Amino acid sequence: MIEIRPQIRSALSDSQLQKNLRVTLGKTATARQQVIAEVANWEELRRHAHQVKAHTISRLGEYLQQLEKNVMAQGGNVVWADAGREALDYIFQLALKKDIRKVVKSKSMLGEEIRLNEELERNGIEPIETDLGEYIVQLGHEHPSHIVMPALHKSKEQVAALFVEKLGMTPTDDCEKITATARRTLRQHFLSARMGITGVNFGIAETGTIVVVENEGNARLSVSVPEVHVAIMGLEKVIPRAADLSVFLKLLTRNATAQKISTYVNLINGNRRPGELDGPSEFHLVLVDNGRTRILADEFLRQTLYCIRCGACLDVCPVYQTIGGHAYHSTYQGPIGAILTPQLLSVEEAPEHPFASSLCGACYEICPVKIEIPHILLKLREKVQDQKSARASRLPLERWGLQAWSWIMTSPGRYAVTNRIARTLARMFARKGRNRMPPLSAWTKSRELPELAPKTFRELFKEEGRES
Amino acid sequence: MSRSAIRDRLRRLHEAEQAAPLPSTLPEFPRYADLVEQFKVELERVSGVFLDGRSPELLRQALERVLADAKAGEIYWESEDLFAKHGIPCELRDSEAFKRGRLVRSDHPVRQVQFPLNLHSHPYNRATLASLTISVSSAACGIAETGTVLETTGPAVGRLLPVLAPVHVAFLRRQDLLMNHADFFSSVKLGDAESYLVLVTGPSRTADIEKTLVLGVHGPQKHYVVLTE
Repeated sequence: MIEIRPQIRSALSDSQLQKNLRVTLGKTATARQQVIAEVANWEELRRHAHQVKAHTISRLGEYLQQLEKNVMAQGGNVVWADAGREALDYIFQLALKKDIRKVVKSKSMLGEEIRLNEELERNGIEPIETDLGEYIVQLGHEHPSHIVMPALHKSKEQVAALFVEKLGMTPTDDCEKITATARRTLRQHFLSARMGITGVNFGIAETGTIVVVENEGNARLSVSVPEVHVAIMGLEKVIPRAADLSVFLKLLTRNATAQKISTYVNLINGNRRPGELDGPSEFHLVLVDNGRTRILADEFLRQTLYCIRCGACLDVCPVYQTIGGHAYHSTYQGPIGAILTPQLLSVEEAPEHPFASSLCGACYEICPVKIEIPHILLKLREKVQDQKSARASRLPLERWGLQAWSWIMTSPGRYAVTNRIARTLARMFARKGRNRMPPLSAWTKSRELPELAPKTFRELFKEEGRES
Repeated sequence: MSRSAIRDRLRRLHEAEQAAPLPSTLPEFPRYADLVEQFKVELERVSGVFLDGRSPELLRQALERVLADAKAGEIYWESEDLFAKHGIPCELRDSEAFKRGRLVRSDHPVRQVQFPLNLHSHPYNRATLASLTISVSSAACGIAETGTVLETTGPAVGRLLPVLAPVHVAFLRRQDLLMNHADFFSSVKLGDAESYLVLVTGPSRTADIEKTLVLGVHGPQKHYVVLTE
């Protein structure tokens, strides 16, 4: 079972982390608001994307087979992996056969999910993360703390110190110089690695095209320089038509990084063709399930799979803003992490995640594909509770309490009487927001109890009625 | 093994279900009266450089500007087709230079372009590609909405030339400029001819350290688009 409470406590007392989060998330929010406000039909775009995803997810098998057929027709190879293990084994075998000892990687959340880097290392293959944020995280032996901005938790001074230590950089706090150091180091890796591994943002079924969206050019280099390109893709990333990509890109890049379009949208149709001067001689697409078909089985919860990993729900979440990404102790953080983690693993494995939310609804408001995250959170909380009560066969006190509650709440008369009793008790024991009667006093030790209004709603309603 | 297991699971899940239909039309995308102006504004917004090359004189000035900015004396050209397609006044001194699989360079010792271009060729290999400063390729099309150009592979065109050099110049014909992304994605034939296409909007960028924008992290640091007739 993943326990997140200790991490949350330590995140709350980490003042450097609090400052780093404030700096970065503040900048993102303002820029995003501006770039979304420019689009008159934003709502229509969200609805369109939602419809495309809903349709695709309910016909997933057909579209994946169409994608497979078209990728293979172009000379690519397609593999289906039930669990992460199978995907990893396929990649190791491929590397082993060609005696490949180093791979350049561009950002992939699925790669994090199946622990690709650790597993590659264990098998004697050196993985080099090439996205700057991911590279920083890798050098520091950490995990990403955000889906789109992996090194968000670090200040430039912290990054500089890391580069001085690991890469022998001359001390500086100039972002340009830090970045230039990364460019020089990583360019050498690009030119010497023989395999490039990338994630996939979209797989277009009708054309067999793999779409990789990025800003730095590291994915572009990963699919251009090495002799083998391996793309790892979660089953849910398939879309039927190329035309809809216009809508998805517009939503994704604005939401993720507040850009009208990202710098590079790589559209990959297999390996090098006859007559082309360079490019990989082999292309492999690894389709990974790893729990996704299980999520699909629930007609309500399956909308979790609509996610296009823009990361915007993290930025707007008051909980994420306060505790950062590492506290979730999971590949996926923030609201999407809170619903995805317990579903990809199981609610027994991640029972605390659905509760790491205030249910304010900001995540739903910003979601480009309109995933009802708050409702899913509630549904998952219900599952967690069901499991708990199934295990403990429920304490007698709790059972009686709930029976009494239900008896009171099902009759207006009983409700009114109980209300009056409770008010009288409250006036006797609660003063100035403090309840002095144990065990309730424990609850108000760190919170204030609101003062009771002089009249109840029912009383007010009656009076109002008389006046008008 | 897994292939049939996953497919079976998916088939069972979907059997009884009515799929919600795919939307039949795309939402509206913005339209512009002046495509060139829109393209220019958007390209400049992302730190790209727009150069008008719609006459031999303008073209010469554009290339001179690129050379001067980069303090370089040579340019690498993607293919011979580029000269004809973009009306570059060039009488090829060395037609051997454009044999398939060669890298073609023109020298500009005083950082001034003189037509005809003096062309040399090198074997096409990674070491040479990794060392060049300015690369020029021809954009298959442009998208005014976002100041984007489409670069593609093709016969005798690879993936590396436009991405390895720190300075890249894309030549774009006025007639290849499209209105918006909906127009582009509704008409593009992906996978028919080329193994790789890439939409490029401005120079390579990152904001991974404290959201501070830095250009040229992996791809070109300078990105020019020269518009031709």
